[in-house]
Amino acid sequence: MKDAFIKTAPSELLKNDVSNRYEQLYTMLLEAIPFSVLLISNKLRIISANRNFLEKSQKPLSATIGHRLDEVLPLVILEQMDIARRVMQVIETNKPLEGERMTYRAPGVPFRIYYYSLIPFFWRGQIEGVILLMNDVTEQTKLSDEVRGVERHLASIVSSASDLMLSMDGTGNILTWNSAAEMISGYTSKEALGRNFLMFIADEDRSDIEEIFALIERHKSAQIKECSLRTSQFISILISWVFSPLMDSSSRIIGIVAVGRNLTERREFERELIKSQRLAAMGILAGGIAHEIRNPLAICSSAVQFLLDEDDITPEFRRECSEKILRGIQRASAIIESLLRYSYPSEKDRTANVDLVDMIKRTMDLMVQQNTIQKIETKLSIAMDRVIVQGEATLLMQVFMNLFLNAIKAMPDGGLIEVGISQDKANAYISVSDTGYGIVEQNINKIFDPFYTTSSVGKGTGLGLSISYSIVQQHGGEISVKSTVGKGSTFTVTIPILQPVSK
Amino acid sequence: MNNTGKLILIVDDEPEICWVLERILKKVGGICHLAHSAEEAISMVECHQYHMAFLDAKLPDLDGFELARCLRKSNPDLNIAMVSGYYYKADQTILMAIQTGLISSFIAKPFIHEEILNALNHCLR
Repeated sequence: MKDAFIKTAPSELLKNDVSNRYEQLYTMLLEAIPFSVLLISNKLRIISANRNFLEKSQKPLSATIGHRLDEVLPLVILEQMDIARRVMQVIETNKPLEGERMTYRAPGVPFRIYYYSLIPFFWRGQIEGVILLMNDVTEQTKLSDEVRGVERHLASIVSSASDLMLSMDGTGNILTWNSAAEMISGYTSKEALGRNFLMFIADEDRSDIEEIFALIERHKSAQIKECSLRTSQFISILISWVFSPLMDSSSRIIGIVAVGRNLTERREFERELIKSQRLAAMGILAGGIAHEIRNPLAICSSAVQFLLDEDDITPEFRRECSEKILRGIQRASAIIESLLRYSYPSEKDRTANVDLVDMIKRTMDLMVQQNTIQKIETKLSIAMDRVIVQGEATLLMQVFMNLFLNAIKAMPDGGLIEVGISQDKANAYISVSDTGYGIVEQNINKIFDPFYTTSSVGKGTGLGLSISYSIVQQHGGEISVKSTVGKGSTFTVTIPILQPVSK
Repeated sequence: MNNTGKLILIVDDEPEICWVLERILKKVGGICHLAHSAEEAISMVECHQYHMAFLDAKLPDLDGFELARCLRKSNPDLNIAMVSGYYYKADQTILMAIQTGLISSFIAKPFIHEEILNALNHCLR
């Protein structure tokens, strides 16, 4: 700036004129800036002071210019800054004293924080004095303290949350990793940072996550996904994730925030609930099943007694008895097997191919006696011999058991249960119709709610349908219902069928 | 005890149980009629004077106790034994039914043949 000025100012007159203009400009600038500026002579007297300083010191110009530094500045500042010694130091060394902070607390006035620096004033090869620049940074300091406080608060929320919270850049590299993530994954924040998120996801879910990231990029919207986190111990933990885009001020996606909840406990709780509901359904059937088993036992027992007690047994009669014994044992054993299949969920191979036709027949077998007692007829119509879906047989059996028990409950004076099994390319459809009470329209939305029941206390838990719904949902399917009051209800379970593997 | 010629009704929807009971009772000289439903039983009791009836507790068309009440209406002197796998001996329902005289005895399935004969002898005494 100065060089440019010299080059473009040939005449001395013009030079003076311009110089006056600049002097005025600098004076104005000095008056306008929100800093206190003092020029101090090497005798430690004030040569000039700007308006900001005069306002802050609440002294008129006359009580400032020409006065000694220790008359102008408050004692606290003088002592804290040790200003006289420092001014002399700057003059001697000809080196500026870069920014220092000082807290100034005058009695009865809220404390102020100053930021000051000392700059040597050099004129024609000589140090004439020192410029003292003082900036009141109280507000900024307070503000940045507040910002830091908010930051700390947010950080502590993220860190103490029991959900996993992490952020990653646009390519999936981990940027932050909270303590829940550390605890659940077994990887410390240090180990996780910089690594790609996909490295922490179970192999089979990686392509899904990549797809989700692409969706976020495309739609700029949050995505939900359940998938497993692979821990440092190589254990898969099912997590319910919400992935949200992290956007800059111009709505450009600069990363992804992932919040995940550990589903292990909830799943365990659900399993417990399913188990207890299954046992409750079992209790309803117990009497009927007892009868169903004791009939063939009675036949066997009597046939044996005939063989033991009678002296004149013909070969034909012996054969007849033996056949009845064998048939009776097979019948009892088949009932017990259905019972076992129903009450013990197999822990390993949880999902397998399940033939719905066979499974529904077995479930209906368990209901035979109950149906007899309640004078209920059953009709099964199947479109094909086998309908294979992938799932947990015990759980699916529980769904149909619940639907059958509900149908029976809806027909206290007897009636007809019609079961239909069919399939198309995508789904298997199982309908269970009864000729019972039907469901009042305003209640139809409530029937899948947990603990919703029209049964009196002790007769129904109100969990059957809600659990059935959650089981079917876990199999990727759904349950729908149509009902007419006084005519009956039809529940239709839709489950995706297993695609035949092409050879 | 002589049971020769005594008319006995057997009601069970399970044919094999009827087969068993008939054989036991025939052995001691009883004449057995079989019914597989309550409806059949009711019409048979209207036509014949039975000495005794063996009833299943759960029939496809009617509860065994209901049937017992119906049969009693046609034949107040009918002795009724309940033969069932649905109840157990100390069951409150059973104890009540015996106490009120609705049935004269209860036999749980599976049974020893002697229990059937005891029930018959007890009634014909």
